[in-house]
Amino acid sequence: MHESSVVGQWVSAPGAEDIVTGKARYCPDIQLPGMLTGKLLYSPHVRARIKNLDVSKAKDIPGVYAVITHADIPGENSYLYAYPDQPLLAVDEVRFQGDAVAAVAAVDEKTADAALEAIAVDYEVLSGIFDPLEAMKPGADQVVAGQSNVMMQMTYTSGDVEAALASADVIVENTYRTQWAEHAFLETEGGVARVDDEGVVTVWSSCQAPHRDRMQIARSLGLAESMVRVITPYIGGAFGGKDEAHVQIHAALLAYAARRPVRLIRGRRESMLTHVKRHPMIVHCTTAASKDGRLLAVRARVIADAGPYSNATHEVLNKFGEFIGGPYKVPNLEVEKIAVRTNNPITGAFRGFGAPQAAFVYESQMDDLARKLGMDPLEIRLLNGVETGTQLFTGVVVREGRAMKASLRKAAEMIAWEKRDQCERSPAGHLRRGWGMATILKGAGLGRGLADHAGVLLEMHRDGSLVINSAAADMGQGIITLMAQLAAERLGLDLSCVRIDRADTAKAPDAGASCASRQAMVSGNAVLIAADEIRDTLLSLAARKIKVSKDRLDLRNGRLLVDGEIHDLTVQNLAERASVWGYPLHAQSRYHLEYPDDAPEVAYRFSSEFFQFCTQIAQVLVDCETGQVKVEKLVAVHDAGKIINPGGVYGQIEGGVAQGIGYALSEELVVVEGHTLNASLENYVIPMALDFPELDIHVLEMPELAGGPLGAKGVAEGPIIPTAPAIRNAILDAIGKPLYQLPMNAERVLAALNP
Amino acid sequence: MSEMDIHLTVNGNPHKVQAEPAKTLLCVLREDVGLTGTKDGCSSGDCGACVVLLDGRVVNSCMVLAPQADGARITTVEGLAVNGQLHPLQRAFAETWAFQCGFCTQGMLISCYALLLSNENPSREEILIAIAGNFCRCTAYQNVVKAVQQAAAEIRERGNREGIPHA
Repeated sequence: MHESSVVGQWVSAPGAEDIVTGKARYCPDIQLPGMLTGKLLYSPHVRARIKNLDVSKAKDIPGVYAVITHADIPGENSYLYAYPDQPLLAVDEVRFQGDAVAAVAAVDEKTADAALEAIAVDYEVLSGIFDPLEAMKPGADQVVAGQSNVMMQMTYTSGDVEAALASADVIVENTYRTQWAEHAFLETEGGVARVDDEGVVTVWSSCQAPHRDRMQIARSLGLAESMVRVITPYIGGAFGGKDEAHVQIHAALLAYAARRPVRLIRGRRESMLTHVKRHPMIVHCTTAASKDGRLLAVRARVIADAGPYSNATHEVLNKFGEFIGGPYKVPNLEVEKIAVRTNNPITGAFRGFGAPQAAFVYESQMDDLARKLGMDPLEIRLLNGVETGTQLFTGVVVREGRAMKASLRKAAEMIAWEKRDQCERSPAGHLRRGWGMATILKGAGLGRGLADHAGVLLEMHRDGSLVINSAAADMGQGIITLMAQLAAERLGLDLSCVRIDRADTAKAPDAGASCASRQAMVSGNAVLIAADEIRDTLLSLAARKIKVSKDRLDLRNGRLLVDGEIHDLTVQNLAERASVWGYPLHAQSRYHLEYPDDAPEVAYRFSSEFFQFCTQIAQVLVDCETGQVKVEKLVAVHDAGKIINPGGVYGQIEGGVAQGIGYALSEELVVVEGHTLNASLENYVIPMALDFPELDIHVLEMPELAGGPLGAKGVAEGPIIPTAPAIRNAILDAIGKPLYQLPMNAERVLAALNP
Repeated sequence: MSEMDIHLTVNGNPHKVQAEPAKTLLCVLREDVGLTGTKDGCSSGDCGACVVLLDGRVVNSCMVLAPQADGARITTVEGLAVNGQLHPLQRAFAETWAFQCGFCTQGMLISCYALLLSNENPSREEILIAIAGNFCRCTAYQNVVKAVQQAAAEIRERGNREGIPHA
């Protein structure tokens, strides 16, 4: 195999020039003739009965083209795809601050606002249910009448935890609390909808899953899916927050009612109040070890505040439970997962699906255990870490596990872990410096038993140029770059000869959601399969033409190679001949994430079998007078399997660390009795450029035996997961006090210092 | 509220628009001038996605009312490339992956462009200060530093600072 000319190289993303020149069109930039502005009316109460809803005055306002309530929805009144229990427009009760009761479409924003003002809603305010511990008690007032507040309760057991605890030399047992966290994608949710003369509804949607959006829009409009087309324009970030539908269904309903195009974009405050958050969790965890530091058992019980509706709660808690053992050999484990309905904000997918909360727990436990045992944090992790062939407590056997210990060792080397005590630990009387590490594993892909596939269409033209039609949403993470690189590599093309359009359900087969670090694997492999089909045609043709066997031929830099030597024939020549001679140069493929035939049936439902391993080590400086924590330096070592698109890989890692620092130290939605008090980018404190530490990234390449294309694997979620526990452990190292609650803001650090 | 005439020079081109006094410069640029490269991320001056140059000053255009911009020279992201030639900063941003989703990029570019107008060889610290008000959720800031330093080096090498438009 020759050295790659495109794969693994720093290449600009297709569309990068549109972005840097301001030409790229995101939902708010789409302008259609006659387009109306859509808006939603939300309840001012977090729990109330709707006694009367009168929209007649709003309808009479000149310039108002549609006012709809739940009664005007032709199909299903629901957002969600898994457990569709959240109404698009409330029927007789509102259950959280983001429940909408009506939607309007008007000529401009001012008129739309006037229409919202003119809608009369008569509410009977009810007392809300806000404490999940109270809400889960038998006999508690029900958030959704007729349904238990306990949305899910599942226990998974592996081994004999009771016996292991009884025989343990050391036990640590603590309760951890995590916060509501906000995705803060820079482009708020939005959709633009148009109904054409044939009745086809086209929706431009800022989303992660265009085909699933199509299903949901069709379902609510009462149309066949074939009558709905979803296009993703440029998308301004998502991080799980656009995995579920938001306003695109409302935009379609309004366009259908108004018979004019409608654009509906959420404002920042509206966005922060309404979309799903990272679940706040209360986790009680017990970890037991022998005196030589070997893990014997983990027992965890998590109670998650789900808000009133399911959203991705089941999936998030499933993943929390799957990863609560960390990247360790845990012979006995029991995890109880409980989700509780409240009238608090809704919760769902956010980068990592419960794994960040789990890692905060297990990596904090590891350091507390190490301290109790008098062991070095690195040593206890290396001692217990998984390896290739380790069977996890889920029943899954790790097929490629070298990166666990390799990432630990590399990160330790990068920050000079062994020599850290040579650094000044107290540069001033009130300042304390410390170092902390965290190492994690996280699946890539949805998990065994779930529909984890993607399709793609490739077509080469007679001039050798190539079009890739894929419905994989690119929210910035770089999937379209990766697909273009793989196709270019296989077909010997310059990247400039490959055109890849943004996801469009009318042009490309279903690729599933861009979530769970999966697209590089599924869509990447699908592209390889389709590209290889075209490549085979081109090489067969060349073999016939120049009368050499096909296995001596290759394509590179637009040329045919024979035994590695450049031949006169170009890819373009071959494509032209294929066209003239009637050979097809288009290919459609579908890839389903493969699980090995010989793998035992795993015990834990929907377990992942491809893993991201990462280790991060943080160096912090704690101001003991103010409680402020400064992350001075952070090293991040991640296993990408094989790097296809370095810009995407490094970008994902750096961005994940940045989000992780915010999650660790400052980001927290303050919710009082169901109302979010800090729904702005001013008051929800996200680290900015000047808060960012010196960051050193190293990417390991240990190709997976199966999984992604050329041994690659997804890296999107891993980077956010170890950051918070690494910082927590660094604070512990600095001040000698453990923290058990996120974020570790100045107030909590001071409280730990002065109990 | 009655509308008033607002005169603007945007990327060297004169514009006369009619706007209510409470309309923001951001809305004027997007809706009346028709340049949607400048983005609205928060409408409250917190994210920097709407940064433009107003008479050479870096401003959040969502925090400027249209009458305050009357008579001003405005530079937006659409004004950085000249005759189809990308500004070195634009090329460097694309090459170094100084963004992922790109929604912050337009504002980030203007902040960095303004920095390079007054500082031909900025340090990491100076660049971080220049983009302190530009929020990026996808990629963070290291690659922006890299991109700015790459562009600055290119501009210095060419010894051609006059080549920068609207300086």
